[in-house]
Amino acid sequence: MKTATKPAAEPSESPGNQAPDFNHAVRPPFSRERFVLWIALAAIAGLTVLSARQIDFDLRALGGGFDDVANLLERMLPPELDNPPRVGELLVETLMMALLGTVLATIISIPLAFLAASNTTPHPAVQHAARMVITMCRAIPDLVFAVLFVRALGIGVLPGILALGLHSVGMMAKLFADAIEQIDEGPRDAVRATGAGRLTELVSAVLPQVMPAWIGTFIYRVDINLRTSVVLGFVGAGGIGFALQDALRGLMYQSAMGIILVILLIIAAMEYLAVGLRRTLLDPASDGAAAPAIPGPSVRPPWTKGRTIRALCAAATLAAVVVSLIHLGIDPLAPIKQFTDLVTVFGRLLPPSAEGLEGALLKAVGETLAIGLVATASGAALAIPFGVLAARNVSPSGFIYHSARAVILAVRAIPELILAVIFVAAIGLGPMAGAMALGVGTIGFLGKLVADSVEEISGGPLEAVRAAGGGWWDVLFAAVIPQALPQLTGHWLYMLDVNIRTSTVLGIVGAGGIGFLLMESVRTLNFDVAGSIILIIFFIVFAIERLSAWISRLFR
Amino acid sequence: MTQAAATAVPDSQPGPAIRVRELRKDFGPVTALHGIDLEVAPGELTVLLGLSGSGKSTLLRCLNGLNPITAGEATVLGQPVHGMTSREMRKLRSRIGFIFQHFNLVGRLTCLENVLIGASGRISGPRYGILSYSRAQRREALTHLSRVGLGQHAFQRADSLSGGQQQRVAIARALMQKPELILADEPVASLDPENAANVMDLLFQICLEKRITVLCTLHQVDLAMHWAHRIVGLRDGEKVLDSSTATLSREDVLNVYKQLQPEAAPDGTTA
Repeated sequence: MKTATKPAAEPSESPGNQAPDFNHAVRPPFSRERFVLWIALAAIAGLTVLSARQIDFDLRALGGGFDDVANLLERMLPPELDNPPRVGELLVETLMMALLGTVLATIISIPLAFLAASNTTPHPAVQHAARMVITMCRAIPDLVFAVLFVRALGIGVLPGILALGLHSVGMMAKLFADAIEQIDEGPRDAVRATGAGRLTELVSAVLPQVMPAWIGTFIYRVDINLRTSVVLGFVGAGGIGFALQDALRGLMYQSAMGIILVILLIIAAMEYLAVGLRRTLLDPASDGAAAPAIPGPSVRPPWTKGRTIRALCAAATLAAVVVSLIHLGIDPLAPIKQFTDLVTVFGRLLPPSAEGLEGALLKAVGETLAIGLVATASGAALAIPFGVLAARNVSPSGFIYHSARAVILAVRAIPELILAVIFVAAIGLGPMAGAMALGVGTIGFLGKLVADSVEEISGGPLEAVRAAGGGWWDVLFAAVIPQALPQLTGHWLYMLDVNIRTSTVLGIVGAGGIGFLLMESVRTLNFDVAGSIILIIFFIVFAIERLSAWISRLFR
Repeated sequence: MTQAAATAVPDSQPGPAIRVRELRKDFGPVTALHGIDLEVAPGELTVLLGLSGSGKSTLLRCLNGLNPITAGEATVLGQPVHGMTSREMRKLRSRIGFIFQHFNLVGRLTCLENVLIGASGRISGPRYGILSYSRAQRREALTHLSRVGLGQHAFQRADSLSGGQQQRVAIARALMQKPELILADEPVASLDPENAANVMDLLFQICLEKRITVLCTLHQVDLAMHWAHRIVGLRDGEKVLDSSTATLSREDVLNVYKQLQPEAAPDGTTA
C-alpha cells in the first residue's frame, strides 16, 4: 500500500543496513580510550587495596573503631560549657580571623587575577608567573602556613590570619581570574573606543561584569575559612581551637564536647547566612521593580531593594573589618614591619635537606597517599548512595530525601581535623584514625556534590524509562547513572585531591601522614627538613591535580 | 501514495484499545481537561489536533499514568489506568510505547543502549552497559535500529546524531517494547518540515505494518489528513472534533485551530 519511506534527508544510509551482519555487530567495537580507562580504574582499585593493607585498615577494625568512638561519645555526654565568657571571646576571635583572612586574600587576589587572566594580562609570561604563584598558594595547606607563621611571629591570631589569607589566594585568585576570562569583550571595546586608559577600561568594563561572581566566591570562602579557623588553635594560631585542645589534653571530654557543639552551631549558622546572602545579593530580580520614580529628572539612582541590601552589606562588612582589626589589636602594617622575621624563617627552609630522614620521609609520604586513597574509596562507597537518595528528582520519597540531606548537612558541618581529633582520642594515634576521619568527612562533602549533580541531569530520559515500564532501579541504572557518570568521576577525583591534601596535615593532631614530621621538624628547629617536607607536599598536591585533570579529559 | 483513510480500520481484537469516559485533569486550580470522551479501536491511527495548551499532551500522559487522573475513567488495553498498583502500572506501561517531543535519549549512551532501554519493563533487574544485555536482546535491538534505518550508527553516541535521527532511535526504543499501542506526544515538533515528514511517515508505516494502535498529537494538518484514520480536535480541554478522516475537509480540521471569541478567552490551561 505505501511506498517506501526511506528518509530522503539523510541519503548517506545505504539500503544494506537493513540486513546487518548480526554476528559481529552486537558487540561494541574495541576502543583505545575505553581500554586506557579500564586500566586506570584497575590501577586505582589496586592502589587502594595496597593502601588499606599499609595502614592496617580492615572492615573488622572499622567496626571496633566505631565501638571506641561510641565509648568516647558516652564519656563526652552530657556536654558541659565551662567558662562561657572565655569560649565566647575565642569564638568571636575565630570569626574575626576567618573574615580578616578572607579580606586579606581578596586584597592579594584582585591584582593577581588581572595578571593571571588571559584577556587582561600584560604579557603571557606574566600570566604564567601569576598562575604559578596561585598554584603554589593552593598547594601549601593553610595549617602548614600557620605552623611556619607561628614560628616566625609567635603564638597569636596574626599568624592564623596570614595563613588563611595566603592559602585562600590559591582558590580566590583562580576563580577571580576565571570570571574575568568569561566576560563579554564588547563593553571593553566600547570603553576603549571612547579613548579611555587601561585602568579605566578594567574598572568600567571588566569590574561590573565580574562583581557577582567575585562576591559569590568571597562569601563561599568566608564559609570555608571559618571551618579552618576553628582548628588553627591546634598549632597555636589563635581561635577556639586553643580551648578545644586544652580540654582534650586535660581529658575533660565533657567540656570538649561542649566546645565542639558550639563550633558546629556557629558553622551551621554561617552556612545558612552564606546561602541567604548569596540568594539576596546575587538575585538579579531584586533590581527589577524600581522604587517609585521621583517627579522630575533625577541624577540619583533609586534605592531599589537590591541596592539597599548591597549598600547595607558593604557597610556591615567594612564595619566588621574595622572592628575586628581594633578588637584583635592588629596593626594592618604588622606583616610589613615584621617582614624580616618572616624572611628569616622562610629563608631557613632553604636549602631543603632530609639528611638521615630519607627512609622516614618516604614512609610518611606513602602513608599520606594511603590515607587519602582509602578514605576516598571507603567514604565514596557511602557518599554516592547517600547523594543519590538526597537528589530531589531521584529520591524514592520525600522522607528519604529529607533524611539523606540532613545526614549530609550534619556531617558537612564538622571540620575534618575535629573528626580526626575525635577519632584519635577514641582509637589512638595513627593513620587509621586519619583515614576514618577523612572517610566520614567524605560522606558530607562528596555526598553533597553527588546530590547536586544528580539534580542537574536532564529529566527526559528518566521519564522515558518510566514510560517504558521501568521501575526505580531501572531508572537509576538506565538513565541516572549514565547521565551523571562524568560528573561523578570528576567529583570522585576532586575528593581524592582534597583528601590527600588534608591528609598532609592530619599528622598535626597525630592522625598519621607526613604532617607529624613537619610539626616535629619545626618544633625542633630543623627548618631544612621542614623545607623538604613542604616541597614534597607541594609536589604531591601538584601531581594529583595534573592526574585528575588528565583523567577527567579522558572520561567525558 | 494512497490515502490511508480509505483503508478499512482493522478490528482483529475485541473491545477498544483506549476507552476514555468523562476524563478530567486538574493541575492545582487549573483544569486542563474538562471531561473528555474518546474511543480508539485496535489498529487505528488517530491524530489529536489542537493549539498548544489545549490539553493534548495531558491526555496522552494520563493514558499511561505519567499524569494521574483527577476524575472520570480511562481504560487502556483492557486495563483501568487509575487505582493500579505501581507494579501493575509498570506492566501496562511496558505494553505502551511513548514517543516524546524531545526524544529523551541518554545522550552519552550509544544508540543501541538507548534502544535496549525499551526492554527495561520486561527484563528483570537493572542493567548497566551493553554487555549486561543478552546477545538475543542486543540482536533484537539492532533489528529495530535497522528498521528505522540507523543500523550502522548502533555504537555511536546518541547525542552525536541529528534531531531526526535521534527521534528515529526513540521510535526503535518504543518498538523494543513490542508495544500494542504507541502514544506519540508531538513527535516532530522540534524537527524541520522535511525531517518531520520523514519521521512521521516512518512511524505510521511501521505501525500499520505491525498493526500497532497509534494515538499521536500533531500540528501538521496535512500529515494528519494523509495518514490518520481518525482525527480528534481539542480546544481548551474539550473535544471539539471527532470524525473519520474520509468524511473531513481541510476546512473542518483548520476550524480546530480558530481562536475563540475574546469574551470566552482561554483560561490559561497548560498542556
